Amino acid sequence: MSPVSFKGAGELPIFSRSAGTMEWNHTGNWRYLRPRYLDKDAPCSEACPAAEDIPLIELLAARGEFDAAWQRIREENPFPAVCGRVCFHPCETACNRGEYDAPVAINCLERHIADNARRQGIAPTVVQAEETGQRIAVIGAGPTGLSAAWQLRRLGYAVDLFDARAEPGGLLRYAIPSYRLPTDVLEWEVKLILDQGVRFHPGRTLGGNLPWAELESFAAVFLAIGAWTSNPLGISGEQLAVDGLQFLQDVREGRAPEISGPVAVIGGGNTAMDVARTLLRLGAKPTIYYRRRLEDLPALAEEIGETTEEGVSIQPLLAPRSLSGEPGSLELTLMPMKVIEKPDSATGKAKVAPSDAPETTIQVNAVFTAIGFQASSGLPLGTMAPVGSWLQQLHVEETPELPILLGGDLVNDNRTVVTAIASGKAAAVTIDALLTDKHPGQLLEAGQVGGKGALSLNRLIGGDRRERQQHVVDFSELNTIYFRYQQRTEHPGLTLLERQTGFDEVQMRISTAMAMTEAERCFRCGICDQCDNCYLFCPDMSVIRNLRQEDRHIDFDFCKGCGVCVVECPRNAMILEEEPR
Amino acid sequence: MKKVLEGSHAVSHAVALARVKVISAYPITPQTHIVERLAELVANGELDARYIRVESEHSALAAVIGSAATGVRSFTASSSHGLALMHEMLHWAAGSRLPIVLAEVNRALGAPWNIWADQTDSLAQRDTGWLQFYCEDVQEVLDSILLAYRLGEEISLPVMVVFDAFFLSHTYEPVDVPEQEKVDQFLPPWQPTEQLDPLNPRALNQLASPEYYMEFRYKIQQAMEQALTSYPQIDGEFFKLFGRSYPLVDRIPAVAGKQASLALVTSGSITGTARVAQEELLQQGVAVDLVKVRSFRPFPLQQIREILGGYPRIAVIDRNISFGSGGIFAREIAGALASLPQRPQLYPFVAGLGGRDVTQQSIAEMVRRALSDAPPEDVLWAGLKA
Repeated sequence: MSPVSFKGAGELPIFSRSAGTMEWNHTGNWRYLRPRYLDKDAPCSEACPAAEDIPLIELLAARGEFDAAWQRIREENPFPAVCGRVCFHPCETACNRGEYDAPVAINCLERHIADNARRQGIAPTVVQAEETGQRIAVIGAGPTGLSAAWQLRRLGYAVDLFDARAEPGGLLRYAIPSYRLPTDVLEWEVKLILDQGVRFHPGRTLGGNLPWAELESFAAVFLAIGAWTSNPLGISGEQLAVDGLQFLQDVREGRAPEISGPVAVIGGGNTAMDVARTLLRLGAKPTIYYRRRLEDLPALAEEIGETTEEGVSIQPLLAPRSLSGEPGSLELTLMPMKVIEKPDSATGKAKVAPSDAPETTIQVNAVFTAIGFQASSGLPLGTMAPVGSWLQQLHVEETPELPILLGGDLVNDNRTVVTAIASGKAAAVTIDALLTDKHPGQLLEAGQVGGKGALSLNRLIGGDRRERQQHVVDFSELNTIYFRYQQRTEHPGLTLLERQTGFDEVQMRISTAMAMTEAERCFRCGICDQCDNCYLFCPDMSVIRNLRQEDRHIDFDFCKGCGVCVVECPRNAMILEEEPR
Repeated sequence: MKKVLEGSHAVSHAVALARVKVISAYPITPQTHIVERLAELVANGELDARYIRVESEHSALAAVIGSAATGVRSFTASSSHGLALMHEMLHWAAGSRLPIVLAEVNRALGAPWNIWADQTDSLAQRDTGWLQFYCEDVQEVLDSILLAYRLGEEISLPVMVVFDAFFLSHTYEPVDVPEQEKVDQFLPPWQPTEQLDPLNPRALNQLASPEYYMEFRYKIQQAMEQALTSYPQIDGEFFKLFGRSYPLVDRIPAVAGKQASLALVTSGSITGTARVAQEELLQQGVAVDLVKVRSFRPFPLQQIREILGGYPRIAVIDRNISFGSGGIFAREIAGALASLPQRPQLYPFVAGLGGRDVTQQSIAEMVRRALSDAPPEDVLWAGLKA
């Protein structure tokens, strides 16, 4: 019973209300659950080997802050313009939006963000790490070595970058055709790395004019010399075939051969597709011969699609048997294959063997091989031990104290540009750990984004991503009622005729308006984007916003812990915890 | 200006004339046309108001309780099951003393499904603290919306303007639509005495212990009683401006200046039919006076006693039933007359449930039964296929 007494109805207002403010009544002390803003990891970031902070990047892009988005990518990956063109984008495969309508076009946006920075001439943030005074040798200026060099500079190490070729870029420059990755784009991005004080030494071949003894003076060595040794066909007349990788390199260096008429490409990977599409552009009529089924092709689905669109025929279940004739007029005998074992779950590829069907011999002007590649030569001998997901450590007897790491295509199972970049970053982190007497394994774990090996340097060096819970938000944890169906933006492309006759980039740019619309499709899983749902739903008006600072907090004097804010958060950027007693 | 308007649209135009600022409603047959037209008026800019879409009637009323609490003129509408779903919020609106106006289209309740006229839905909300005015024709529907805001805002209680499904809601009649300036004169902006204001924080409708609760209920009853005295003045003002008047209870004698031996009590659109039946009966030599009850809440007890107390016989037509008791108007009238030393004989007819036609023939039949039969012990069914 209230201690207040009154004499009659006349003293009361017409309805029940307090005489003054009730703010003294801290109803928050009824609470036994407590909401908290807690950002989490998104499946796209987990799936990105380079651990790019994709939800935040898309948030920035959706707001038109492309500059900030670009800097954010470069924290983890110095190659957004490259990856925005050639990455196999596992982020999109993992995108939660895929379960809703279609994945966000993350790859397309990455390219737009990088191209925008280039067009606008935005200056990247200058590395301001304290110099450690130690020098690191990075051998191989491909994506792995350049990624390592960039991150090592950011960690304060002096970097000497050696490469056997005249220009940096590795396979990005010498193996990926310019219709997929224009040279000027690559050169811009490489220059941004080298401009951070990386000393580049061209024309130095490991085991050749770069003797091992020269490397012993460095604090650590990172070997990222790639896999440039083509697998042999193992058939008679093999010497009449052209190494596909060498062919691509010749074309990129301006030594495109005169070629026309029917040509054969042996293989089914991305290099086989690149070789065939390059031959097409040079005026030949290529056909790809692959020993397994079409569904077993190791090339990326997108590239297979673009290849067949351009009119290249892919003939499955045909293996080369022999090659004869004169250069320019060859007879290629092909052996029909049959499936002898259904695909095993590990590789997803069917096992094949020669069938009883008769062999066929075709007349071609040239045969190109692209059936896989082995590590480049020149590695010192020693024993190897794995470090994390992307690296091996090499112990050379003569120099037991010198940390030597191997990365990129030398060790990666999945030889792609982005796994190479991830490997380079892991190398930088591991070298830093080894030189500062930290345990590399623990360090790599602390920087993990999700459970697929993605490593965030931001998280590792105490950036804002460290504040996030290491939990990957899955589709079922989103409140999708607040999203609406929206069509995905696709890259426009050149016409088929343009593609078949020239080396112009196949995929064209999208407009800034399209990019912002597409970025807006991002659910921003696990990241607060100030959408205000918590504020709107809170029945106790206990969400206190600071809109200018993009900050919000809970007023625990009045929050009763009902959890509506957490449930109505579309993107799972909040949690409800038990109130500490 | 005269316009031919559907009953539902008459409500919509009245709401616009009342310069309502917030509307929230959920569609239900036969109410939908009201809010459909209002949504159009808001969408095309003719009405400067917020239209809040909601997922249920309960939320619709909750929304306008919120808006009215801030001192803004607010409107909702419903019918039948929708009104039933509002039940809890009806109590909150009245207890909060908010002068919300609700257009209620009388429709039968399930089971079984029925979308036609029947008063049981609104009468089942008898004790929620809302005023209830039952309308005879489309003009009265339009005018009642304006009267409802004026009265509700004066006494701080919500008002239901009640009218029959289809007979009024979907029927087009020539209607005199008042001019905006005159309406503004009759219905100035609401000046709330209490309002929700973030700059002056208060806990509204907080717990009232047994020490206080009863006094708040007493104040609602007082306001209802005040409505009985305020309304005639307001209605008088309305008459001066617009030339139309709607008494709480209206007696329509068969022969002017005389009292017949039977009073026939009606409400809603049946009254219109009864007027025709009255004329026809008079031509046949049967005089019956009509008594139209417009206000069910507050129930005009004194006027009922004065008007009906002197008749030897009263027939009441109820298009509703309180199961186990009978026609609800009849029960209320019997209660009102109970305090008189001499009481008329009461013939409580239940007729026209679920939209069954109550024709002038069936009314004449009821009159004949009331004049010739012995008074019944309970409910008299009219038009029943027994």
